[in-house]
Amino acid sequence: MWWRRVKSIPRSAPVILLLLTVAAATGFAAVGHLVSRYNANQQSRGRTLYQLGLDYVRSGSYDNAIAAFRAALSCDPGDSQYQLSLARALRDSNDPRRLDEAESYLLALWQRTPQDAAVNLALARVAAHRGSIEDAVRYYHNAMYGVWGSDPDGNRNKARVELIEFLLKKNAHAQADSELIALAAALPNNPAAHLQAAQLFEQAQDYAGALTQNEQALLSQPGNPSALAGAGEAAYRSGNYSIAAHFLHDAVEADPGNAEARRLLDLTDLILANNPFHSHISDAERNRRIAAAFAQAGNRLSACARQAGVDLSHSPTVSASPLPGLQSLWLLAQPKLKLLRAAAAETDIPDAVMDVVFQIERQTAATCGPPQGRDLALLMISQKREAAGQ
Amino acid sequence: MKANDPVAGAQDSIASAVATRPKTNRLFPTLDGVFHEEVFVLILSVFIGIFSGLAVVCFRLTIDWIHLALLGPLPETHSWRLFAVPSLAGLVVAVLVLHVFPGIRGSGVNQTKSALYIFNGYIPFRTAIGKFICAGIAIGSGQSLGPEDPSLQIGAGIASALGRQLQISRERVRLMAPVGAAAGLAAAFNAPISAVLFVIEEVIGRWSAGILGSVVLSAVSSVVIVRSFLGSEPLFRIPVTTFKRPSELIAYAVLGVVGGLASVLFAKSIGSLRPRLKALPRWTQYFQPACAGLLVGLIAFLGAPQVMGAGYGAMDEAMHGQYAWKFLAILALLKIVATSVSFVSGTPGGMFAPTLFIGAMLGGAVGDIERLFFPHLTGSTGTYVLVGMGVLFAGFLRVPMTSVFMVLEVSGNYEIIVPVIVANACSYLVSRSLLTVPIFDMLTRQDGLILPSLEEDREETILRVEDAMLAAPKAVLSGQDNVEANVRRVQDSPESAFLVRMHPSGWNTITRDQLQRLEREGKGELTLASVLPTQTLPSLYPDLPLDSALRYVNDYALVPVVNRADSRLLEGIVTRESVLDKYGRRRAVEVPGSV
Repeated sequence: MWWRRVKSIPRSAPVILLLLTVAAATGFAAVGHLVSRYNANQQSRGRTLYQLGLDYVRSGSYDNAIAAFRAALSCDPGDSQYQLSLARALRDSNDPRRLDEAESYLLALWQRTPQDAAVNLALARVAAHRGSIEDAVRYYHNAMYGVWGSDPDGNRNKARVELIEFLLKKNAHAQADSELIALAAALPNNPAAHLQAAQLFEQAQDYAGALTQNEQALLSQPGNPSALAGAGEAAYRSGNYSIAAHFLHDAVEADPGNAEARRLLDLTDLILANNPFHSHISDAERNRRIAAAFAQAGNRLSACARQAGVDLSHSPTVSASPLPGLQSLWLLAQPKLKLLRAAAAETDIPDAVMDVVFQIERQTAATCGPPQGRDLALLMISQKREAAGQ
Repeated sequence: MKANDPVAGAQDSIASAVATRPKTNRLFPTLDGVFHEEVFVLILSVFIGIFSGLAVVCFRLTIDWIHLALLGPLPETHSWRLFAVPSLAGLVVAVLVLHVFPGIRGSGVNQTKSALYIFNGYIPFRTAIGKFICAGIAIGSGQSLGPEDPSLQIGAGIASALGRQLQISRERVRLMAPVGAAAGLAAAFNAPISAVLFVIEEVIGRWSAGILGSVVLSAVSSVVIVRSFLGSEPLFRIPVTTFKRPSELIAYAVLGVVGGLASVLFAKSIGSLRPRLKALPRWTQYFQPACAGLLVGLIAFLGAPQVMGAGYGAMDEAMHGQYAWKFLAILALLKIVATSVSFVSGTPGGMFAPTLFIGAMLGGAVGDIERLFFPHLTGSTGTYVLVGMGVLFAGFLRVPMTSVFMVLEVSGNYEIIVPVIVANACSYLVSRSLLTVPIFDMLTRQDGLILPSLEEDREETILRVEDAMLAAPKAVLSGQDNVEANVRRVQDSPESAFLVRMHPSGWNTITRDQLQRLEREGKGELTLASVLPTQTLPSLYPDLPLDSALRYVNDYALVPVVNRADSRLLEGIVTRESVLDKYGRRRAVEVPGSV
């Protein structure tokens, strides 16, 4: 055997240690060469498997994608792209048991590169899948302030939009509001971005913010039908019916097929035509509107009573329904109508009459379902008055 | 019979090689003044670690390469390759084992232990090469075996070859095999502490300060080599593991008991199948690995490819809750079957990875079942899987310390140390009470060898000096008193020999006749210390092993047993009669019927 020749070498410790060192260095170099060739082959195989995995993801075949990504990772266990893709596939496979594994991969990546925005975003999505607001907010924020490979501003806005959508889904409106403010401040001058922000403001029931974003979009792109309709709707929801009518009119003109805008425009016109509290109308017109509203409320009450099978002639104390009580109120208010024409503008008679109208509209809406036409307009006026009172 | 037995044949060839090997120390006379042999061996241990690490890197690449070449990169279900590949590879391995590399069957732990205790540390280098090739083919083709034990033997083989070629002393050559074994195992597991502990617990069988330094150095250097080539990624990605409430220890204790029972089942299936297969005609040995491969392949083909090979990927997935408890339990059972069959067929390969696999699956299954009944349990599936690994290690391999450190080293998480200790202790106790002989001892005894076992040593009652100690004599003489006074003191004493307390310390002895003679010689006025020999009497402590008393009781009529805090305080004495009486009584107890 070759090693028997060692006996012919002079036996001294330095020589032996030198020989061992040379042998170790040679072995190290040889194994290093072997490992590097093996790794090169494995990396090539890993890339092929990774591409296969991506194809599977694109086709929605997550189980196959996971197997391919796993195989790719076994070829190159340190590749963070493979790990990230596997974690994403595990997360998106709609199997809750796989979330743990996805999180494990991502946490390992996060420990290596805590500033990596893509990893933080993936972790945020895992937390969002779990419904953990605290973790999701932390990782989304990490993603927003992390390092992006390309288009950092766009990606940060996307991450913030995703966070806002998650918070709104979780009814965390206070946190969503602060994120919306931050989003609005960092938006590029891009109508699409403003429109998206407007939608988020609307989901957060911040109609003033939604109106502002739609107006911003219109500044960049005047006549944009979506922005016009959005601004109209936002103004309508916030009770600014005159502004709403203006935008909705333009929206319907720009896009006659927009049925929702047309419906809101009709309703807004009705509200504007029937609101006795409008500031730019004469006393006579106000009295006329009050009388018409009163009559409309009486009709609505009778129709609702018929629909509900309630006899309005019954005593309010005997009936279980609130409708006979409203009928009594309505009858009691009837004499006040005659006083409207004679009374001075400062009296509280209009308010008292309209209070009865609003009570009837609200109660009939609760008893007989949402109203239509003028009744709906009166109900909206009632809600606006109530909101203003509060 | 012996001619047909490859193990016996290999042992013969080893014995003859040992007999012809030069026994003189040719190296170290020339090293005088340069290195002590001890220092040289420590340096050599580092090189053993380096070479073992390099070999294990190549071994792992070989397994991966064979697996990729034969079974492909992507796991395929219901493919003909799943059963064709391990069967055909089994045939190849059988031919190699029977004709080219005899003596490489099995795991390699016992062979290393045999080398240490029987063959003066001799492991043929050919065995290491054979283990590399055959275990690589077997594990790469999907046989249900692990690469750790072969790595251990490869390391031991390299160390043995180096030690022999450098002609260090026989005592140290004998210890080279465990040094290499630690290096090989540490490299395979990427866990140096566990490797060192395993070699101490199972291979060397005793704590020896002389070898510990070498074992640690070789283990650490091999791990450094492996990490430099293959990275420091752990074997598994460890999920978040938690242990919040002490009351949950009951759940882990249950896991320990179940693990202990599974260990017994696993060990008994190997212990009963192995002699039966070995007793079959020699020609069947050509087909036994192939049949084992076919069975493993069929299990994989029918839907459980996770049982093939070491199974680290499946363990990783189990740790992350990928399998339902029913499938985990089935996998544990199938792995016991697959590994038992692969191992007893004589296919070279290890049992460490399968043991971890079975424990992991069982841990996951038990944890999930417990959580079904007690939803408030906070331990995740990953935690139970991790604890389960240690449980089987403790119960099956019967290495309780290694099992604890293995889990801690693999997980890098000390939060679960208490559950691991509790579960491992339960598993170990259950296994020990149901199966008196540990698996490795069972295998060596089946091969006709009796090797020392640390477990048996631990259970052996050690006789101590205090067991043979007689009450301190009433008359203890003082070296500072004169001879006359001491003669008067012993006048009424029935004893013939007396202890003398010297000043400031030490003990001596004198007989009544010697005292009286000194008085007759006119030395009555002299102090006793001045007439006694200057060499003092050796003394013993009560807690010393009784063997240490044997060194003195032949030369001295009585030996003082003194207090460790104050050597002038006499606790008692031992005499030759009292020591022999104690040994005699012990023999009478140990050998039934004898008195």
